Amino acid sequence: MIHISAVIVTKDICKVYGSGSIKVEALKKVNIVIDKGDYISLIGPSGSGKSTLMNVLGCLDTPTSGHLYIDDIDVSTLKENQLARIRREKIGFIFQKYNLIPTLTALENVALVMGFAGVENKKRIIRAKDLLGQVGLSHRIHHKPSEMSGGEQQRVAIARSLANNPSIILGDEPTGNVDTKSGIAILKILENINELGNTVIIVTHNLDLAKRAKRMISIQDGIVSE
Amino acid sequence: MFKDNFNLAFKNIRARLSRSLLTLLGIAIGIMAIISLMGIGEGMNVAVTGELNSLSDTILVNVGEGFSIFSRGSIDSTDEYLTERDISDIERIIGIKEVTTQLVGGGILRFNGEDKAVTLTGIDSDIMQIQYSYENLEEGTLLQANDQNKIVIGYKVAYDYFDREISVDGKVLINGKKFFVSGIFGKQGMGGITSTDDIILLSPRDFEKVTGESNIYSATVTVYDVANVENIALEIERVINENHGDDDFASATTMSSILASIQMVLGIIQTVLVAIASIALVVASIGIMNTMLTSVMERTREIGIMKAIGATNKDIMVTFIMEGMLLSITGGLIGILLGVFGSKGVTAVLGNIGPSGSANLEPVISLFAVVLAVGVSMVVGVFSSLYPAWKAAKMSPIEAVRYE
Ligand SMILES: Nc1ncnc2c1ncn2[C@@H]1O[C@H](COP(=O)(O)OP(=O)(O)OP(=O)(O)O)[C@@H](O)[C@H]1O
Ligand SMILES: [Mg+2]
Repeated sequence: MIHISAVIVTKDICKVYGSGSIKVEALKKVNIVIDKGDYISLIGPSGSGKSTLMNVLGCLDTPTSGHLYIDDIDVSTLKENQLARIRREKIGFIFQKYNLIPTLTALENVALVMGFAGVENKKRIIRAKDLLGQVGLSHRIHHKPSEMSGGEQQRVAIARSLANNPSIILGDEPTGNVDTKSGIAILKILENINELGNTVIIVTHNLDLAKRAKRMISIQDGIVSE
Repeated sequence: MFKDNFNLAFKNIRARLSRSLLTLLGIAIGIMAIISLMGIGEGMNVAVTGELNSLSDTILVNVGEGFSIFSRGSIDSTDEYLTERDISDIERIIGIKEVTTQLVGGGILRFNGEDKAVTLTGIDSDIMQIQYSYENLEEGTLLQANDQNKIVIGYKVAYDYFDREISVDGKVLINGKKFFVSGIFGKQGMGGITSTDDIILLSPRDFEKVTGESNIYSATVTVYDVANVENIALEIERVINENHGDDDFASATTMSSILASIQMVLGIIQTVLVAIASIALVVASIGIMNTMLTSVMERTREIGIMKAIGATNKDIMVTFIMEGMLLSITGGLIGILLGVFGSKGVTAVLGNIGPSGSANLEPVISLFAVVLAVGVSMVVGVFSSLYPAWKAAKMSPIEAVRYE
């Protein structure tokens, strides 16, 4: 590839929902290059295509056309199981609605992703406890999601996204459902991770929070600009 | 990963407890039916085998088709009888310990001023005790060696033949001669090797006294060496048939051949019963599939989340198959327990209300039956969760971020 230090490169990515008269072009030829260790905020009005882009970058969704390169791998050509592996090893995804498994405790939720990666049980528990400690939840490890506040659940979700040591952290409005104070606390955790050399991309509606990033990308009607 | 799958499966079952329990109940009932039916069947087999094995040195000789559980009752009226010569020829065969005979003929029974035509059976008291054991009696006793003018009568003779019931020590007239009732057989109805309902037993001496005849209907032969019993039976048939110039005149039946035919019938009954019980398992399997499909639908989002955080199709499938197996194996184990206790209960009830002789029926739960039950429930679990698991695995990670 052209960019030696780029972790994510998109080439003419388009995403079209539906067909015929109800066709929605959510992404229109998106070309972005994201360097290793970058900290990016993605902003734009509601319905502009932020989530669509994040889902494509996180390999949760496939683009209608165009190419996505992660660590120089053309992800658009990969099969189901290979995609699962990219999601597991290279990407940590933080959802707006936390998306923890409701029947599992905080500890089990964090340990589960390491289980998918084949990490031995004892090591998983130790690391999960450590991660939950880092997000300030040592006292909540045996609680289920329904027994925790939104901010606490989001911190569990962050611990989970970090469990397999991914180099890319994607957050689609990670602060969207929590108050400003918790929001800043969450961003501080993510900024710490960024300082360790990981790439962090977050979507936010809050311009003050967005300005903390090293780089801001805005999106309007599926077209990106800086 | 196994631990995680198990944990997830277990927690999902617990989170939907009442539904899981109902699903599990289906499997439990199916397995219970199979275990208890196999157990009772095996128990019947053991009981019959035990009872007949104790008579393995005995051969029954009679005129006609022979003694089989397919042709019921031994009191088929026939005009042909064994002769004294037949009996002495049998006695001459090497290896024979003892020959005793049963006499059969018609007579008139008078009681309470009414007359009834009946079939009389003259039989030695010791043979009587082998062929019609004390357990079959409802009241009174069988005849003793020197008893005279005494009879043992069937249930119907005592209670249905006359307007008044005949009781033990009651007085009746047979062909004008006075007899006292010594014992009454219990109601036998269907089943049972020989029906005793219409029977009237008396000593051979009394039989000759009232009928003036000594028609030998059947003979009971005992041998010294059980190993020779089949050969001796063939020899007896040959000798008698030769005497009468008819290849099918008489038949000599050993207990082991009766046993074999009983075991065959029991085997068929058992197979049919287990096949019917298997239908319950098929229904239970559909139940598991239904529960799992519902569970997959409800957990669309959860499955999406798992895939979004890196689970492969295989991970998802294993989780759901594990859940199905957990349900069915738990159900299976409960079913085995219920089956063990259930079959004990059933045989206890049968022992109380059923024909006498089934009192000593004990269910036999073999290791094979238990292993089979566990195996079957495992297979049912895997089989019925395969499709739901595949449906779950097919889901897209995008379900995780799609709002309802
Ligand atoms: N599954 C879908 N089917 C059809 N259209 C969709 C689907 N998902 C999103 N869209 C459309 O694509 C466009 C972009 O949606 P997207 O969710 O990316 O917006 P967004 O920028 O994340 O908005 P918000 O700030 O409200 O979260 C919208 O017009 C939306 O209606
Ligand atoms: Mg969005």
